[in-house]
Amino acid sequence: MDIIFLLLSFFAILGAVCMVLSHQPVHSALSLILTIIALAGLFALLSASFLFMVQIIVYAGAIITLFIFIIMFLNVKEANLPKEPNKNMTLFFGIIGLLPLNYLILKALYMMPSKQLVLAHDGFGDIKNLGMELFEKWLLPFELISILLLVALIGAVVYGRKEEV
Amino acid sequence: MNSISVTVVIINIILAVLFSLGAAPILVWIERRVAGFIQDRMGPNRCHIKGIRLGGIIQSFADMLKLVFKEDFEANGIKQSFFFSLAPVIVFCSAFLTFMVMPFADDLKIGEQVFRMQGLPIDLGVLWFLAFAGLSVYGIMLGGWASNNKYSLLGSMRAGAQVISYEAAMGLSLVSVLITYGSIHLVDIVNFQGQLLFGFIPAWGIVVQPLAALIFIITAFAEANRTPFDIAEGESELVGGFHTEYSAMRFGLFFVGEYVAMSASSALIVTLFLGGYHLPWLNTHFLQQNISWVFVFLMIAIPCVSYIFSQWMFKNNRWLEVDNIRNRESKLLFKIIVGINVLIIVGLGLFLAFGIGENGTNIATAMIQVVTFAVKLMLMNFIFVWVRWTLPRFRYDQLQDLGWKILMPLAIANIVLTATIVVVFGA
Repeated sequence: MDIIFLLLSFFAILGAVCMVLSHQPVHSALSLILTIIALAGLFALLSASFLFMVQIIVYAGAIITLFIFIIMFLNVKEANLPKEPNKNMTLFFGIIGLLPLNYLILKALYMMPSKQLVLAHDGFGDIKNLGMELFEKWLLPFELISILLLVALIGAVVYGRKEEV
Repeated sequence: MNSISVTVVIINIILAVLFSLGAAPILVWIERRVAGFIQDRMGPNRCHIKGIRLGGIIQSFADMLKLVFKEDFEANGIKQSFFFSLAPVIVFCSAFLTFMVMPFADDLKIGEQVFRMQGLPIDLGVLWFLAFAGLSVYGIMLGGWASNNKYSLLGSMRAGAQVISYEAAMGLSLVSVLITYGSIHLVDIVNFQGQLLFGFIPAWGIVVQPLAALIFIITAFAEANRTPFDIAEGESELVGGFHTEYSAMRFGLFFVGEYVAMSASSALIVTLFLGGYHLPWLNTHFLQQNISWVFVFLMIAIPCVSYIFSQWMFKNNRWLEVDNIRNRESKLLFKIIVGINVLIIVGLGLFLAFGIGENGTNIATAMIQVVTFAVKLMLMNFIFVWVRWTLPRFRYDQLQDLGWKILMPLAIANIVLTATIVVVFGA
């Protein structure tokens, strides 16, 4: 299990780093897919099988496809990409600047009290249990989020339609 | 892990590979012969090994050999060589993975152990299919983009837009199906379809959910990039679309991946709407109860079918000269058919005489179901091929209109209708 966890985390971080560093937008989008799939794998390790599938279907299957579609649609030429002359310098100072914060976070993590963790019960995280939980305990937030999504959807349609003369 | 479970797992993997990868040459053969038939010509039938033609199947193997040994050419304009090679791999792998969750037979019970008869024993079912079918479009988009060619880029953008539009309708049509069956596990879904509706109609998905079946089959055509939705290739407008620059085995992977994806779509359609591995009116329980009668029926039916087939073969695969290659092949095949028949009859007779016990009954049932599944899969694949050579290609705007303005509202209406009926009458 540990090896799988390490591998997945490695790929997730690698994808994230590549996303920030790459010059071409398509490469960034592709690295993001790598991160998302690795994250999905981490969800699967936590026996959240529904989240695992949804992560792949929604993020990798739909959203990033849209990203890549738009990037290809714009068809940015190599010459039109922004020049990043001081990229390495910025990166170097960025890393230096973040080191103290990382140190603090790591220290905080190690200072946390240890707790006996129990294995999740059978059927944890599968669709049925998740749905029951959502519709029994968390009904109001669930409905509120649906309304929020609906508002966003209608907003997109309103912005997207042609102006009627 | 004892030896039985290892054996069953290995058999499952072999079956999954056979149904997906192994089906590719047969599907290519079906495609060409059916195309020939529809266009009133013969299609490839001359390729042979020592006189064995098998109606042209050998042509597919010759074709595969050609693809493997061709020069793997890469145009100078291709700057992203890594992504260029990665693209066909993505298409092929995701197509192959989608097939891994299709159940070929009901859960097999040997002694105390219960085995799932699928390539990967996980119960994510439909979701797994959706996830990896969605990933395969990256291969197409990446291939077109890395080719550094306007036609390829256009093809891959068309593919992307098409998959995004049709995935929405596909997901929504699946929701109503899942409400009816009350489960996402494909085995549960198939077992639901083993029941009878009003006592005499098999409760297949296509009877219970006709609208969802229609929408799903249409969107599955679009997902598999097959005509009438193959604008991503569009050879009359875009040369070859996303695979214009590909040659040899990198093209071969795209080519095989398309057939594997088609086979996986067919498998899901069969599982969701056409009763999966169930014979109509004969569900697993019934088969297990009446296994002796099934054997008797098989002992009578198989020779009859073989006889009719041999007559057909002698009538069609012959030539005036006695020593012609066709006549020799027919004679050889006839001998093989007789041999198989004798083996089957003797084997089944022995089983009937000595009885085969509970485990034997379960295994025999599973075998019958695997064969049923294979036959249904091939029939569905045939429909894919039939549609491809019958319908013309959609124009791009027609395709988007169909996806968003017709299929999507229909699917949503179907969900509301299904949910209401399920709540009122109780599933």
